[in-house]
Amino acid sequence: MNVSGMLHGAGLLKIVDFPASEVLGPEASEHDIHNLIEKCGSVFVKPIFRGGIGKKGKSGLIGRATDLKSALAEKERLYFAEYKVGNVVYKSRGVTFEGAVPAKHEIYFSITDSTRYRAPVMTLTHHGGMDIEELDKTQIIEVPFDPLTGLKSFIVSNALTDLGAPKEIISPLVQHLPKLWDLYHHYGMSTLELNPIRMMPGKSGSLVPVACDFKCGFDRDDPRINRLSLPDDLFVTEANDFEQEINELRTYQGQSDVYVINEKGTILAPTFGGGANSLVTEVLGNDAIISSDFGGNPPYEKMYDVMRISLKYYLKQTNVLFIIGGKANNTDIFVTFRAMADALRDYFSERGATPLYVVIGRGGPQVIRGMGAFKDVLDSLRIPYKIFGFDSAMTDVVNYAQEADRWMKSGGRAEVAKLLGLPAEA
Amino acid sequence: MRKPGIQEFKYYVGIRSLADIATREDRICVLNITGNESRTVTPVSHAYSGGNIVFGTSPGRRGQVVETPAGNIPVYNNVREGMEAGHKFNVGVVYLPPSAVRDGVAELIRINPDVEKVVIITEKISVHDSREIRALGQQRGVDIFGGNCLGVADSWNQVRIGGALGGDNPGETLRKGSIAIFSNSGNFTTTIANYLSIGGWGTTTLISSGKDIYINYAAPEFAYAMSNDERTKAAVMYSEPGGYYEHDVVFDKPVVACVVGRWKATLTRAVGHAGAIAGSGDDARAKEKWFMDKFGVSDLFTPENPVCSKKGAVVTNIAHIPQALTAVMKLNGVEKDFPPEGNLELKPWFGDNQGLKLSAALDIPVVKALAPYDLQIAELLKNVGAIFPRQSMKDCSGSSVMDPKTQVTKVNNISILDCSKQPLESNLCLALVRELNDENDNALYNLAVAAHVNLHNDPMLAAAEAAREAGNAPNTAISAAVALLGPKRADAARAAADSLTEIFAHSGLLTGDDEQAKVTPAAATAEQLATLLGSAPDAKAEAMLKAFDKRGAKSVFVKYLRSLKGHPTADAVLAALTTTVAWEPLMRKRISKLTVRNLPWYTKLFGMIIGASTEAKHHAAGSFCGVDNQEILDSWTVTQLAYISLLGERPTAASLLPLQVILGLIISNGVGTISSQGCKGAVSADGPESPERVQINKGMIGFLTHTGFAHGGNGYEGIQFLIENFKDTSLADASNPDQSIDLKKITTDFAIAFNKEKKQSKALGTGVRNIPGVNHPVFKGLPVNHDPRETYITEFFAERGEKNVFHDFYKTLVQSLYDNGVTSNVFCVNIDAVIAASLLKLLWPRYRNGQFSENLMEMAAFTAFLFGRMAGCAGEIDDHINRGRNMDTRTPASQCSHVS
Repeated sequence: MNVSGMLHGAGLLKIVDFPASEVLGPEASEHDIHNLIEKCGSVFVKPIFRGGIGKKGKSGLIGRATDLKSALAEKERLYFAEYKVGNVVYKSRGVTFEGAVPAKHEIYFSITDSTRYRAPVMTLTHHGGMDIEELDKTQIIEVPFDPLTGLKSFIVSNALTDLGAPKEIISPLVQHLPKLWDLYHHYGMSTLELNPIRMMPGKSGSLVPVACDFKCGFDRDDPRINRLSLPDDLFVTEANDFEQEINELRTYQGQSDVYVINEKGTILAPTFGGGANSLVTEVLGNDAIISSDFGGNPPYEKMYDVMRISLKYYLKQTNVLFIIGGKANNTDIFVTFRAMADALRDYFSERGATPLYVVIGRGGPQVIRGMGAFKDVLDSLRIPYKIFGFDSAMTDVVNYAQEADRWMKSGGRAEVAKLLGLPAEA
Repeated sequence: MRKPGIQEFKYYVGIRSLADIATREDRICVLNITGNESRTVTPVSHAYSGGNIVFGTSPGRRGQVVETPAGNIPVYNNVREGMEAGHKFNVGVVYLPPSAVRDGVAELIRINPDVEKVVIITEKISVHDSREIRALGQQRGVDIFGGNCLGVADSWNQVRIGGALGGDNPGETLRKGSIAIFSNSGNFTTTIANYLSIGGWGTTTLISSGKDIYINYAAPEFAYAMSNDERTKAAVMYSEPGGYYEHDVVFDKPVVACVVGRWKATLTRAVGHAGAIAGSGDDARAKEKWFMDKFGVSDLFTPENPVCSKKGAVVTNIAHIPQALTAVMKLNGVEKDFPPEGNLELKPWFGDNQGLKLSAALDIPVVKALAPYDLQIAELLKNVGAIFPRQSMKDCSGSSVMDPKTQVTKVNNISILDCSKQPLESNLCLALVRELNDENDNALYNLAVAAHVNLHNDPMLAAAEAAREAGNAPNTAISAAVALLGPKRADAARAAADSLTEIFAHSGLLTGDDEQAKVTPAAATAEQLATLLGSAPDAKAEAMLKAFDKRGAKSVFVKYLRSLKGHPTADAVLAALTTTVAWEPLMRKRISKLTVRNLPWYTKLFGMIIGASTEAKHHAAGSFCGVDNQEILDSWTVTQLAYISLLGERPTAASLLPLQVILGLIISNGVGTISSQGCKGAVSADGPESPERVQINKGMIGFLTHTGFAHGGNGYEGIQFLIENFKDTSLADASNPDQSIDLKKITTDFAIAFNKEKKQSKALGTGVRNIPGVNHPVFKGLPVNHDPRETYITEFFAERGEKNVFHDFYKTLVQSLYDNGVTSNVFCVNIDAVIAASLLKLLWPRYRNGQFSENLMEMAAFTAFLFGRMAGCAGEIDDHINRGRNMDTRTPASQCSHVS
């Protein structure tokens, strides 16, 4: 759940009265763009990517214009620009026009929670406006601080002194940067980065820090984000329909975390526990359709819904339904297995049979009753299956599921289809 | 003031040795002890640890206790009250919801200065609160475990604190040994301990650290405490990507590190463990490298390439941990703690190829599970039929469900629209055995019900008659008879059903009609035989068996009865018939043994309700409604019996169909209907947790008393409306298409008159009457509206070439209402109109020739409703007996309101 760019960033900074560059959204009229250029001398034209996309400048995805005509040309170029990060292609949904802020000094500032210090940490340099990874370690400072008292002026002052920052920027930064702690701590953020903050001369001649780019990450377990009344669809790009539907079930009782690994995978593996999730997804690789953690003793209704949704989206393409977890501590296996088996039975009732091989590996409270419940449903649906106890190595069970997938791919699926009275290509 | 911590750390750490993490001396306070998770986990922890929990809190629940095998744990509103009551503790365990955790930690450490350790089980705590919790612990000098962890345990001390390490039977997994476990995954803490014990290694202290961004008790503290724990010879550390906790750790004892999650480098957000998302330089590969550098090894350990040193090994597969540990310890000259208890090879506990030929790699034979699971499996396989978990069944049903969008109810997953195509006998069975009948089932069940409609000389008939004469509606009159069909009149047949089930339970019989099946029933005991055979021939049984042959029915159970030396009783024959119908669903565990046991009782009730609905004069010694008893047994269906009871004449195939359709449509309208609520309330009051005490006949009375002139009797409103419009016509037969009746004219006249009436009512401010059968709260608002149920039935009748003028009238009426400006769009004809039109079609000839008064028409409409609905309600009764809890339909006083 990330936000980048000044379109929303400027609004967020306003909450704590932190100065920000002037920004116009994609709907800005030519008149407004013209006025902004008149006022600021030039504008930056930036594509709007949902999520936190960095290094746009390096990729030629930031335009600068000193007249309306070139601003509109840049708008046309960048409005639907595409940007590839790793395997993911992000598509722009409009542009912003940001008034240029002339300045001698550019500051980098961020707050995040550090696992090295187990505390919030401020990272600061007055050599900003560039990748901080490229800076020498002496040019940048990392300062942990106490979250109960927050980021205080003296912390900023000490940090700037230690950095040997020019004296004209110290006072304005000491005055303004602590405000950002309020934004970070009270609105559910887990990272906040302003780069650059440009030090613009103010009316009285002293410098004013003006945020010219904005990035933040929100903690999705923190309801404080609701205080910001951000648009509902701001984070939508992060999930496909399936993830969206599952994540609506997200409550603190029982996990319901999923991530689509391969839309064209053939093993559907609802996994229980964060550890099992890591292990199973690792071994299955691209055979897996989803990576999931449904542990945490989910109640019947929730487990049923999770399974119902998973089956709705992916059972048709699935060769192997693979239900796997370690030896549960607290998850009631009878409840979770009954819910999943019922969902499978109801899928067959409502949408018809589909060729399938089922592999299960699990231990924990009521494991035999749970396995028995699943067995009964599989027998009644005439689906071939193997159910392993917790004394079988989990990775071997994963390998077995892969073997079953290979068998299904090399003629097994047609045989199961025949058994179920379905056409071979089902 | 912060307590002084261990000097080696720049931050506060209080625990010097792993032996101090979970001790027998620790005394514990559990916050939100009555929460869902705590309620199941805490009693096990308390008993395992020798009763170490002194009290728990739950605001507003002071005075309650949490029952455990080691004695009750008192509950207080808050920590202060518990302490004021004299309890002392040094460890706090937090089960609060995420948003309350931070305040809970603050409460623990600010109210009680003696708190040394806090274990936070809750997951999904916001980072905001986690950073404050960390700071609170540091400020006050408290060691915190978690959040999002499963607590800590000590196999030597037999103590676990916080979560559910070791599951519901901790002793099985927490085996005393020499290995400490530190794991980012709670489940893997237990799974690794389990794998270790299979490989011959026991444990000392187990720590589930959690894997949020903030890990309070992390790898460096663990390494320090391990160094000071004499019991611990080595450790297993399970680490996931993200975070620098392991980076600078120095171990002075051997460690097997398991790092899992290379693939997570491609993730853009965490799944499951919030902190398991790498930033820069802390992904799985980086962590593998950190550990390899610490241990001085050049590669990962695998069975094929067992790279390790005296200092340790790195694996990426938890199944390799025991082997890696053994290899490392061998280099250190340390033997296993105990002989290995097995291996981790693939061992299927259950499996079925369903007759397919699998590859050799897949076709692994099912093996006997390790104890005690082998005994549990044996018990499970012995069990016949489904076992439903009990829960509150208030407003909840496993039998029926109504789709709020389509308003179509499904009974055991079959839509009532499909039920309308089934005869009543099949729908009665569907409600109870959860599947529709085949032909043989119908033959068996028709006979079973037919044997119970004639109530000649039975006090039940007299009761119904007396109640009718006292002016009661049909439901009340029938109730009087139903009251007499109590448990004692059903026990013999129920005992016979039990005997048959027990004798054939493990015979290999899969379907009850498979007379050729090679099965081996158990030898019947004398007690079982006594439930099946009488000392002398039973005339009713003989008549039923004769009819059984006449109908050409098949039943393994009837065949079995006949093979016994003796005289089967009529109750035994009844049980054999019903058990045959129920056998396949029982074997497939769709229904319980209890349902099969009670099926003869339901069957007697169905027969009796149909019988008691008609006047006593129609019950004679040798006939019912003028039809010879043996003929009824030999060939009549339940639907035909309902017809003759209702209308007093033999049906033809054409006249029977509309009744069948009506009965199918009304078997259920979901669990929210008053009739369902009535029968479920009756079951709930008897206490389904002691199913033997539930009076099924009383359940049926509950259904009957919860019908009436407004619910069930209202079908008559439609009939009245139709009569009003047709009484002045020449209509003789509603199914005759050659009518000279001008529906357009009748409906237009009505629409104009109604419009006038509506305007007058508006002018006077009085309410406008509804037209029965027209419009629906869901199916409205379109230019032309349809009730999908009505559409379905229309198509069904059209396919069969069935004509119904009353139905056509309704369809013309909605158009005329629109054409004449009465309605703003074309309203739908609803399902009630279909029922009224179908029923009136049946009754019309008798109304026309004066045989049926309007009063009798009303009674017939009401009784027809009862015939259909008794199927759905029997299903609800049986479902509630199987799943419900005692008094679960009760509404708490807090949800009731008062008016004065």
